[in-house]
Amino acid sequence: MFIINCPYCGERDQTEFSSGGEAHIVRPKQPTELSDDEWAEFLFMRKNIKGIQFERWNHSHGCRKWFNVVRDTSNDKIHAVYKMGEKPPANK
Amino acid sequence: MLNFETTVQDSKSYGDLTLSEVEPILKINLRSNKREFSTKIGKLLSIIPPIEANTSSSNEDYSILWLSPDEWLIYSNNKISYEQQNLLEENLFKNISNMNQGSVTNVTDHWVMINLKGSKIYDLLSKSSPYDFKNFKMKKGSVAQTLLNHTDVILHNIDDNNLNLFVRRSFSEDLWLWINDSARFL
Repeated sequence: MFIINCPYCGERDQTEFSSGGEAHIVRPKQPTELSDDEWAEFLFMRKNIKGIQFERWNHSHGCRKWFNVVRDTSNDKIHAVYKMGEKPPANK
Repeated sequence: MLNFETTVQDSKSYGDLTLSEVEPILKINLRSNKREFSTKIGKLLSIIPPIEANTSSSNEDYSILWLSPDEWLIYSNNKISYEQQNLLEENLFKNISNMNQGSVTNVTDHWVMINLKGSKIYDLLSKSSPYDFKNFKMKKGSVAQTLLNHTDVILHNIDDNNLNLFVRRSFSEDLWLWINDSARFL
């Protein structure tokens, strides 16, 4: 359990949120030109690292907005929260 | 066909705590990200939708609750008949939806409004909500969307120890039973 600072509603408990997995994965511009392996790479493969990870979260039981979180997966410490479409913090 | 059948049949008292459903109340969901939207609502209802998060604005007849940066819930402060509700909805629909200023959805049958009154309401809510009520109870007009006993609720602080709770109709019976059960042990 940890507290997430929703960029719209403020600090709320984690139970109000849903995790949307890794952030900043770009959809290939021409999916039809990819091999099955490349498509599977985009679709399924995630870094899942121990350490600082960029993630998407949704405030599903609050304002229902999506946003990005920079979270250390080893200790659940949140380093930054930023809205969709904004650039990730540079020094993370 | 809208379903106005209530699942909450009675009002209950537990010591200082009073619980009751308030109906018929008009409830309308508004969505818009247009700049003229606020002034349009202001002209129609003499009330401006709040921009600040977790707040509300009220006049004599209506309250508008902030739900998200582009979504609000209007509800009537007093009971009004379904005929009057339809007239108001039509007026909003004509001036907002038809003019491409946003969307107007009648959610009267979607939400059930339960009024909770008494000095122990926050003890009751804290039994099964992850929300921190410290700031909420200090500020009249505060709005919170959170979980209560794993059910989505909208809370509106209307006065000291007096709040309106909105719960989806299909969950209302379950939550009503839980509230009553918990209130007995306060």
